[in-house]
Amino acid sequence: MRLPRFELKQPESLNDAAELLYRYGSSAGLAAGGTDLFPRLKYRLAAPDVVVSLRRIPVGQPVEDPEGYLIIDALMKLADMGRSEIIQRNAPLLVEAAHWIGSSQIRNMATLGGNVCLETRCMYFNQSHDFQFVEPCFKRGGDLCYLMPKGRKCWAVCMADTAPALVCLDARIELTNGDGTRRVPFADLFTGNSVKPIDVGPTDVVTRVLIPTSSAIRGWGFMKSSPRGGLEFATVNLAVLLEMLDDRETCSNARITVGAVSASPQRAHKAEELLKGQKLSTDLFVAAAQAAAEEIRPVPRPDYSRSYLKECVKILCRDSLTMARGKI
Amino acid sequence: MKIVIELSVNGDSYEVAVEPQTTLTECLRDHLGLMGTKEACGTGECGSCTVWADGRPILSCLVLAADCQQMEITTIEGYPGHGTIKVLQQKFQEKGAVQCGFCTSGMILTSAALLKKNSRPTEDEIRKALEGNLCRCTGYNKIFQAVQAASEQLSGESVEEAAK
Repeated sequence: MRLPRFELKQPESLNDAAELLYRYGSSAGLAAGGTDLFPRLKYRLAAPDVVVSLRRIPVGQPVEDPEGYLIIDALMKLADMGRSEIIQRNAPLLVEAAHWIGSSQIRNMATLGGNVCLETRCMYFNQSHDFQFVEPCFKRGGDLCYLMPKGRKCWAVCMADTAPALVCLDARIELTNGDGTRRVPFADLFTGNSVKPIDVGPTDVVTRVLIPTSSAIRGWGFMKSSPRGGLEFATVNLAVLLEMLDDRETCSNARITVGAVSASPQRAHKAEELLKGQKLSTDLFVAAAQAAAEEIRPVPRPDYSRSYLKECVKILCRDSLTMARGKI
Repeated sequence: MKIVIELSVNGDSYEVAVEPQTTLTECLRDHLGLMGTKEACGTGECGSCTVWADGRPILSCLVLAADCQQMEITTIEGYPGHGTIKVLQQKFQEKGAVQCGFCTSGMILTSAALLKKNSRPTEDEIRKALEGNLCRCTGYNKIFQAVQAASEQLSGESVEEAAK
């Protein structure tokens, strides 16, 4: 498949990239690893006049800053995160989530910032141009949804695997545009609107991902369910982070985040409340998993009914909690 | 408008005039005549376009040729890895892991990268490493056996012996 024609810009620094985006606005497409943008260009789902490629920009090494953050360059390749000792030590949950994305080739190309900005997907939208001459759906600028024929909005799903991990880790995203730099909590970036899933403007570049470091005793778990087990977008993915008291048995704080069920990752607050202040046990995990499955509102997809997805959440939640207990 | 780029492929330098939207696969096949790199899906789902960029497998169908100027590209024609590729090719033939052969160049480059990193992979590690390479003929088992056999030959002893 051929790419459409475009003008290529290869800035040498992030400031130059932000300037180029400021000049071209929404007619520019940003390619870091290119594994999300280029397939969409090949399917003719997007048609930017200018592609700004970030491959020439040098990638910074991850550092721990004195304010208590682990700072990861957004241009860091997913495969490199597993090789970095400092990320392994501070955010093993993120490394595990990144390990389950795509294939080894894709992880060698795709960047963390790219996964943060991943476009929502659905069975209808992510198809080749064979479908393009029928009436466009919401995401293509029309006013109907093929997945939910009575739907009044787009129901595409955010399939990013790092998203639930970053929500659990309470990550901040640093955005740069022509006017300056700002830091936004990752969970607040999500709009809930599948047409524009994250609140990153056409002139914004995601520059860094900041993860608060913690000295608490932690256990973590990440699970992804997909039909083939590899090179697949998730049916459901789920991240768990448990903070423990000094006795290593009582949970002081818990975070459970479910991804790939809707336009934004969903926290399972009721399940978290069940775990807080309790001694960890298998019965508790089963109860929390049940609570999470009841609370999460998944969007049904052609192959997956709502009840199937809820069952998936239940099983993944129970298994991730068990995994987390093993890591304490 | 065409742009002139410099590429380093298999140790040779090339100066090529390409359109900005030319992918590395198209550049290798159409401009440099290196037909060992195949394009099947073109969207990163099959892995048949795998090449090495600075020693790591990437998908050449999803990277612009103009973005590869500072990289050392190695294709299946480049015989990288000091004979690893040769042993893999031999074992693929012996075990019948090649049928139509379309996925084979990608399979061999990905498994060579695995063997470079991990000389004694378990079957699960081989499966994980080759998750991005689709094969519609062999059913994968022969490919896993071939990679296992190559790793045994390269490290000089079988996994069972090593376990003892």
